[in-house]
Amino acid sequence: MSEGEIFGILGSNGAGKTTTVECLQGLRSSDAGLLRVLGRPPGDGALRQLVGSQLQDAALPERIRVKEALDLFAGPNAVDRSELMEAWGLSNHRKKAFGDLSGGLRQRLFIALALLNRPEVVFFDEITQGLDPVARREVWDVIREVQHQGATVVLVTHFMEEAQVLCDRLVVFDQGSIVAAGTPDQIIDAHGDRSVIDFTPTGQTAASFDSCRGVRSIEVHDGRMVIEGSAQMVAYVCCALVADGTSPT
Amino acid sequence: MRLVQTELKLVMREPVVLTFVFAFPVITVLVLGNVFDADDTAFEGVVPAQWYVAAYIGVVIAAIGLIMLPVHIAGYRHQGVTRRFRVSLFPHWALPLAHVIIGMVVAVLGIAVLLIAGGVAYGLPAIEDVPTTIAGLLLGTLAIISVGVALGSALPNARSAQGLGLMLFLPFFLLSGGGPPPEAMGDGMQTISNWIPLTHVIRAVQEPWLDIGDPGNHFVVVIGILVAATAAWLWLAFRTES
Repeated sequence: MSEGEIFGILGSNGAGKTTTVECLQGLRSSDAGLLRVLGRPPGDGALRQLVGSQLQDAALPERIRVKEALDLFAGPNAVDRSELMEAWGLSNHRKKAFGDLSGGLRQRLFIALALLNRPEVVFFDEITQGLDPVARREVWDVIREVQHQGATVVLVTHFMEEAQVLCDRLVVFDQGSIVAAGTPDQIIDAHGDRSVIDFTPTGQTAASFDSCRGVRSIEVHDGRMVIEGSAQMVAYVCCALVADGTSPT
Repeated sequence: MRLVQTELKLVMREPVVLTFVFAFPVITVLVLGNVFDADDTAFEGVVPAQWYVAAYIGVVIAAIGLIMLPVHIAGYRHQGVTRRFRVSLFPHWALPLAHVIIGMVVAVLGIAVLLIAGGVAYGLPAIEDVPTTIAGLLLGTLAIISVGVALGSALPNARSAQGLGLMLFLPFFLLSGGGPPPEAMGDGMQTISNWIPLTHVIRAVQEPWLDIGDPGNHFVVVIGILVAATAAWLWLAFRTES
């Protein structure tokens, strides 16, 4: 992972995403291989100052209040807690017990805790799970903001859309192994659904569609042109045909 | 210190603490103190009510070590609170150590309430050997609380901790001094009583306080429990899932 990027770990449930992240956070020991976070082995005490975590299966004590939780986990470099609560819409709930918070407010508190100590690396594990579409987009804005402030973000998700919108690079996990790596566009182009357009060209040549996004191959047989590529290729090729005066069928 | 303060507040918000640590021993000792005649000979020459007040210090400690702490800590593990702490700035040993400290603080409060209630109702006997009694109290409390932290760190959830805790608490409480006095027990029951750790904790406090025996052997057992339980919770605190 490179400094300052949003790095995605994508995969279906049970693919091994969270296990990998837990190894990076020092919560689990790895079976093999060498792991380093900011040049240090996971679990190194000094890393706790530098890493912020929002965990998928974590909770706070039911009776702890919002303000108490932020005070409890604040280190010497912590941001101003009042500002953090204000930024995350928690100010009006500062005296509420964790057990009385809604799912959305709990998630906000976990994000606030992850950012509390000005981390250099932030792990977000299924951060938008259980959020409504509006809240999800708000969280996306926050993740971008975290990146703009200079932190490296590791985003674990099973939503391709989320990874596509947010991640600079990502890896795709399946059964504990990386099956694809690259930018979202590269992965979609290489592994997205295969789409084919088969039509009779009206004067167009293969060169007319070479530059269309998502095109992988163009073949011409018996007066028909067959273009193969990703799902988004269909939209680009159809736009080119329409612009050229042809109505594709 | 901040962790201890916060955890103490959270523990004191648990209804089970108020019931088992503060109310149960006081109510039971007040009832039992009135059951026996003051000159009953089964209490090693001590007034029964005063014998029970000394014994019920152990019951307060057992309520903390066998019920309060295991339920609290196992609940933390099951809910994912412990995981949250493991990625925080606190070192791995901080949370269990905080639980040992709050166990000690709650024990001091619970014992104070018991002694005030017992003292008002029956009068407190003079402490015959103050340093040994205090040493027995400190080591015994620390030992049972460490057992509680180790149990809570090992058990999967609050429900299992509550089940095991009650299963241990009832025989511990009945056979180690909170029920019939040793002289009223048959040989079999006395043998079982001698195998119960809480018996040695209570005797390590009772004997030097009331001058009814030499607590040396009980101290050896209590220190053994303390070392084993501390080693267990430390090991559990640093283990990592694979």
